[in-house]
Amino acid sequence: MSSEVNAGQTVRLSAQQGRQHFQQQLQELENRALGGLDVVTEQLDRTLEALAHQDVELAQMVIADDDRVDGRYLEVHQGILSLLATQAPVAGDLRLVAALLHVIVHVERMGDQCVNIAKLIPLSGYEPPVRPEVLELILKMGAYARSEIVQCKASFSGRDVGLAEDLARQDREINRLNREIFRHALEIGDDADTREWAMHMILVARALERIGDNAVDVGEQVAFVVTGLFREFSDQTNPLGN
Amino acid sequence: MSTPAPAFERFSLTPRRRRKDRIARGAVVASTAIALVPLVLIVYYLLSKGLGSWSIKFFTTDPTGNTFFAASSIGGIKSAILGTIEMVALASAIAVPLGLGVAVWLVEYGKSSRFAHTVRFFIDVLTGVPSIMFGLFIYIALIVGTGTSYAAYKGAFALSLLMLPVVTRAAEVVLLLVPGSLRESALALGAPRWKVIFRIVLPTALPGLLTGILLAIARAAGETAPLLFTAGATMKTGFNLNGFMNSLPMQIYTDVTSPTTAVVNRAWGAALTLVVMILLLNLFARLLARRSSLR
Amino acid sequence: MSADEPTMSLEKPTISPGDNTMSADESSPPSPTRRTTMSPEDQHTQMLDPSRSQSPKSPQAAPSAPGNARANVSDGLAVKLEQLRAFYGDVAQVKGIDLDFHANEVTAIIGPSGCGKSTMVRCINRMHEEVPGARAEGKVLLDGSDIYDSSVDVVAVRRAIGMVFQKPNPFPTMSVFDNVAAGLRLASRGRGDLHNKVETALRGAGLWDEVKDRLSEAGAGLSGGQQQRLCIARSLAVEPEVILMDEPCSALDPIATLKIEELIDQLKSKVTIVIVTHNMQQAARVADRTAFMLSGELVEVGPTQQIFTNPNDSRTEEYVTGKFG
Repeated sequence: MSSEVNAGQTVRLSAQQGRQHFQQQLQELENRALGGLDVVTEQLDRTLEALAHQDVELAQMVIADDDRVDGRYLEVHQGILSLLATQAPVAGDLRLVAALLHVIVHVERMGDQCVNIAKLIPLSGYEPPVRPEVLELILKMGAYARSEIVQCKASFSGRDVGLAEDLARQDREINRLNREIFRHALEIGDDADTREWAMHMILVARALERIGDNAVDVGEQVAFVVTGLFREFSDQTNPLGN
Repeated sequence: MSTPAPAFERFSLTPRRRRKDRIARGAVVASTAIALVPLVLIVYYLLSKGLGSWSIKFFTTDPTGNTFFAASSIGGIKSAILGTIEMVALASAIAVPLGLGVAVWLVEYGKSSRFAHTVRFFIDVLTGVPSIMFGLFIYIALIVGTGTSYAAYKGAFALSLLMLPVVTRAAEVVLLLVPGSLRESALALGAPRWKVIFRIVLPTALPGLLTGILLAIARAAGETAPLLFTAGATMKTGFNLNGFMNSLPMQIYTDVTSPTTAVVNRAWGAALTLVVMILLLNLFARLLARRSSLR
Repeated sequence: MSADEPTMSLEKPTISPGDNTMSADESSPPSPTRRTTMSPEDQHTQMLDPSRSQSPKSPQAAPSAPGNARANVSDGLAVKLEQLRAFYGDVAQVKGIDLDFHANEVTAIIGPSGCGKSTMVRCINRMHEEVPGARAEGKVLLDGSDIYDSSVDVVAVRRAIGMVFQKPNPFPTMSVFDNVAAGLRLASRGRGDLHNKVETALRGAGLWDEVKDRLSEAGAGLSGGQQQRLCIARSLAVEPEVILMDEPCSALDPIATLKIEELIDQLKSKVTIVIVTHNMQQAARVADRTAFMLSGELVEVGPTQQIFTNPNDSRTEEYVTGKFG
């Protein structure tokens, strides 16, 4: 195929004319990996609802459904290996494949964190001594975490680095809420049952915070795919960039 | 002829196809046979008529010119054999290096230049010139023009003119067959051009070159016309290149029309000798070529 | 808990997109967006791929006759192209290239068919002008001296800059020994000990063990891969400073190809190597630096791992990922 080039002018070919089969495979792999984020979002929704209504049966479903996430992980992992072996991707394609490998690991971890939360629910019994203000904070954290997952998926599929960097900002909110919940738990004090419930809530909060971190990591992969550079986005100690 | 039911209809051999095939094959075989006939006849005649004259005396005595007396006194063809050898050798010594030189120039240096095309054209013309012209040319240039008489070396010159285009043409073809990649790799090693030609190209082309040279020699050895007005006629063996010299074609030419049967038979014997000499030369050259390429 | 999470990288100096595009000189000052302190390229290369920047062990001990002392010392020279243009008649096949080949490194030239890679490489040892009607303009500096200068002897240039061709072409009338010695005899250099030099060259090409009992057999009787290594040995025998390879493996099977690639890796401690290849994986495996050419121009040049993981020019990206070519 001919390509006319003048110095500085980019080659315009009918887009992606070469290696169509490979490009299709790559796109499918990306869809499967990002689809994993959808599954995790569902898992998070259900586990938060189970938490809000102390729904033990729902919690059991979440735990059982983690198999879907694990299955997705294995599928994408195998797909990546196969693509590397048969198609020898380079440059942008290679970065994408490497990123997808990271993404699917983060998806799997997020799924595990949802399960961790779900496992805590039955421990409090059917009628736990709930402190509404703490629960409210938890659910707010959950909402942020959910929004981070959705946003990291959008930033990856749109290759939007700005959107990815914004995740760090949201993550700061989650971290702030985490600290607040911890303070509340400390102040609960007197009643043993309530204290136990509060301890569980700390663990839930930590799991949600981990989910947020994983979403930020997905965002970092977006930056890597687009720019070829890898840098950590801010956490609460480092300012963004440098 | 009954054919078994074909496995695939469309692959089956139709009777029409069979017939066409047979006709074509028959035509080709027939042409080969026709072409072979004169060849076989020539060999047959040569052997049957010439072998009879061969004897020791045949090869070791000069013709005596006595054609009216007993067959035993007509003599042999020694001077003719030696004369042919001498003149052809001299002609080759002139024509082969020159011819190779022209061919090398054409292939390595001239290539597709205008001048090279012109040279090629003239070489081609020369191959078509009737051999008697060469004799005439030398006659006019070296005999009439200088006022001197016939001489063996003048005959050799005429022969060399005859050989030159043959050598050049054959050599050029063979040299062109040497793959360019060989020259390239030799050049890329840092060899000067002339070394590439002498050490790589010529040795690689050697078998073909030898064939071409042999072809030219065979032609020269068998030509009568150029020698008619240049080498003079004599019966004696001589080694003086400035004097007259006999040659096989000349001997055959004079003997064949003689009324004496024995003399005519001698002509056949001479013809057979010529053919055998060329054959031996051929075999010898092939042996050489094989020895040099197999190492 | 974020401490548990494995961090992706350290303070890794990265090659920022300020790296050069059209002008290929790597020593241009870093652009302001870079935040690295030391030469990013060397550090980066070293961290990721230590085998590339260090000279590997020299090949099996060559019989070190005094005349061969050079063979163990870094011998390659740098080549620099300045505004090189190459013409066939009036048509410019190579249109003004500035390119550096670092000493003792392997540089690969990639690009689609007809982009002028072979033509450009043939200008380096002045073989291009052997084609009737062909000429070259510009400068080719070997260790600083222009080999196109009118006072330069072409033959001497070709002894310093050797070439290996696509189709293995040992001289058909010669034995293995004579093939390797051919360069020395043709070039009529101080011959020295011919036998020693032939052995050194064959060892350098990784062929000695396979042919040491067959030195007098015809060169053309070897297998394809062996023939190509024979041609490499033939080039090595004249002790060049640079070896140009024009798709040396395209006529060979995969095993032979790999052997030659290993050979290239060993050879670069002695010579500078420029390899033209259609096979991008080969370029990726074998070359320290890769240059991408398109329609007679140089599009991009850089460390191989950068060209294949994060090229600067979108044309390079499209070519290496196979979207055209």
